Amino acid sequence: MIGARPERVHVIQGECFVTDKQDAVLTTVLGSCVAACMRDPVLKIGGMNHFLLPGGGEGSGNNEAERFGVYLMELLVNGLLKRGARRENLETKLFGGARTVQGFADIGGKNIEFARHFLENEQISYVGGSVGGDQGRRLEYHPATGKARQFLLPRTVAPVPRPEPRVPQVPASGELELF
Amino acid sequence: MSLLAQLRILAVDDTTTSRMLLRDALETIGFRNIAVAADGEQAMQMMMKTPSHLIISDMNMPKMDGLQLLKAIRTYKPTARVPFMILTGNADKNVLVEGRKLGLNNYLNKPFTPADLKKALEAIVGRLH
Repeated sequence: MIGARPERVHVIQGECFVTDKQDAVLTTVLGSCVAACMRDPVLKIGGMNHFLLPGGGEGSGNNEAERFGVYLMELLVNGLLKRGARRENLETKLFGGARTVQGFADIGGKNIEFARHFLENEQISYVGGSVGGDQGRRLEYHPATGKARQFLLPRTVAPVPRPEPRVPQVPASGELELF
Repeated sequence: MSLLAQLRILAVDDTTTSRMLLRDALETIGFRNIAVAADGEQAMQMMMKTPSHLIISDMNMPKMDGLQLLKAIRTYKPTARVPFMILTGNADKNVLVEGRKLGLNNYLNKPFTPADLKKALEAIVGRLH
């Protein structure tokens, strides 16, 4: 007999999902976006959001960007509180925020900074995760246990050019010049 | 003195960051007399002590949510007619129907810009400039 499959929910950018199902697995794929995985370990319920602050570049309206991020963080917190979670019990893991394109503004870094700042402001416990770097991530989060598993995606950035070897290559044949 | 400078507005939100953003947006619009509360209970106490001319409240809050605060405001005679606007994360129809029954004046979905906020407030009190 085949057992019931766990509920898998893929959370895309701009979304938030909160569940009290004990077998739920929340998944997402992250580049410079950040996913906050939050749970109440006492009730064993949790959720995930997935955000990318719009226009992270220099000179963009920071408040405009922040409003969108705050909205998604608030949905996550309120979704848990609505299900009976206690604010002081909440614990969060952060994932993503990679710098996937070199040479441009570090949007991933700004997303991480925003999320950490939010948690600090709201005095919500930050218990780890994996942020930064230059690789995207595929993420699986089990809200009931708080376990998270990430798979790093292949780098998409151009490799750093290697210096040419100092010793000239010896021609295959016939063209050797000694002086 | 402009209407904005005279109006005392009470902003209620349990999320510190949202409360800061709400205050920023109100200052951007031109409000100068802004009171803030972190939940419905605190807001009600403030209203009983120093009433504001307008209330903007988040919907989901611990202890006393936006609708419960609205009910308390409408029940307490000195504040019964104070214009009240609710901020919601996802406009739940039931919340709005219930709010209307209780005398809710307007609502605004999050996230919003200062321009959205101004428009929603002007729908209650008329032009602000």
